[in-house]
Amino acid sequence: MSVVTDATTRLSRKTDRELLREEQAIARQFMGRVPWEMVVWGLGNFLVWLSLWPLVFSGTLPLWAGFVLSSICCALAYLPSHEAQHSIIAKEGEKLRWLNELVGHVSTIPLVFPYRIAWITHRMHHAYANDPEHDPDFGSHGPNWWRAAYGALKERQPMNEGMYEKTMKETDDPNRDRAFLEGLATKVVHFGTLSALAWSGYALEAALLWWLPRHIGFTYLITFLSWAPHHPMTETGRYRDTRFWKSPVGTVLSMGMEFHIIHHLYPRIPLFDTPKAWRALEPILMERGIRDDRDLDWSDHSDDPEAEAA
Amino acid sequence: MKLITEGIRVLGEWGAVLFGIGFLAPLIAQSMDALEIAAPFGLPTIAFGLIVGPTAGVVAKLRGSWV
Repeated sequence: MSVVTDATTRLSRKTDRELLREEQAIARQFMGRVPWEMVVWGLGNFLVWLSLWPLVFSGTLPLWAGFVLSSICCALAYLPSHEAQHSIIAKEGEKLRWLNELVGHVSTIPLVFPYRIAWITHRMHHAYANDPEHDPDFGSHGPNWWRAAYGALKERQPMNEGMYEKTMKETDDPNRDRAFLEGLATKVVHFGTLSALAWSGYALEAALLWWLPRHIGFTYLITFLSWAPHHPMTETGRYRDTRFWKSPVGTVLSMGMEFHIIHHLYPRIPLFDTPKAWRALEPILMERGIRDDRDLDWSDHSDDPEAEAA
Repeated sequence: MKLITEGIRVLGEWGAVLFGIGFLAPLIAQSMDALEIAAPFGLPTIAFGLIVGPTAGVVAKLRGSWV
């Protein structure tokens, strides 16, 4: 009998509670360290993005190169804040809490996505993943990535009340008022900066260093962080709302999101440790009936009637 | 808090028009200048931007979306 079959047979004899205990014991091994790589990533990425402005304005860097680099920075801007949203860098009351909050606030500046709004809505996403009424990320569902990205672009329209606005209105989070205030301030500063630059003769720079890269960054993030790991967003529940999948562009270019299921099960495991955690937890998770889509094309899903119709 | 919510609502409601004036108008003008495209009827490019930008903003406001 092979090792895998052995492990499967051993696991299948266990009760749900025993499996959960074993699962949690394994997962705990991957929690608790400070993910310094995310601190460097978050603050470093912000500084690179910030440096593009003087480099382009001084003529050291051509605008087209600034645009490409800024788009990459915007795509990289979310995940360090995401780590901070889950207090992975430091929990409340810990010595490095200030750093957790600094990374959380600073890293998403290129995206104009305030930390507290991101955190409140992300917590709701975890609580209600794939629920059309309550999951703020449900706006990014769709039969393929470009329809998901287009749907999310429509959701982001300032005149629409998208799922994020709805979530912020409905939440009873004690930080809601502060988050609203930060959201308003962020919008005003972003628009004020774009307008001031544009009317000073730097409209192309403003458009290509911030406005357009931000939309490109969001499109990337929606595709790889929201749509792909949850596609087709028809199932809910701990082991079914997120899937294990194979990215057509590989693990690095999809920022580890093939292992996003580990994050949903154990949000305090640092991003860089989710592949290791997956390998350790895989036999138990298969036994638990997780969605294993590794053999499917990333856009396919056998239970997705919308995709079949399209 | 009410004031903040109201502020967000008004900003959101007129955001497209403000965006058309504040950002799109000079962006259109400077893009035309960079591409050496002349505005119709001998208009300065910024005047053309100030017609097209806010008009697009009003259309977006009425449609409820830019896209």
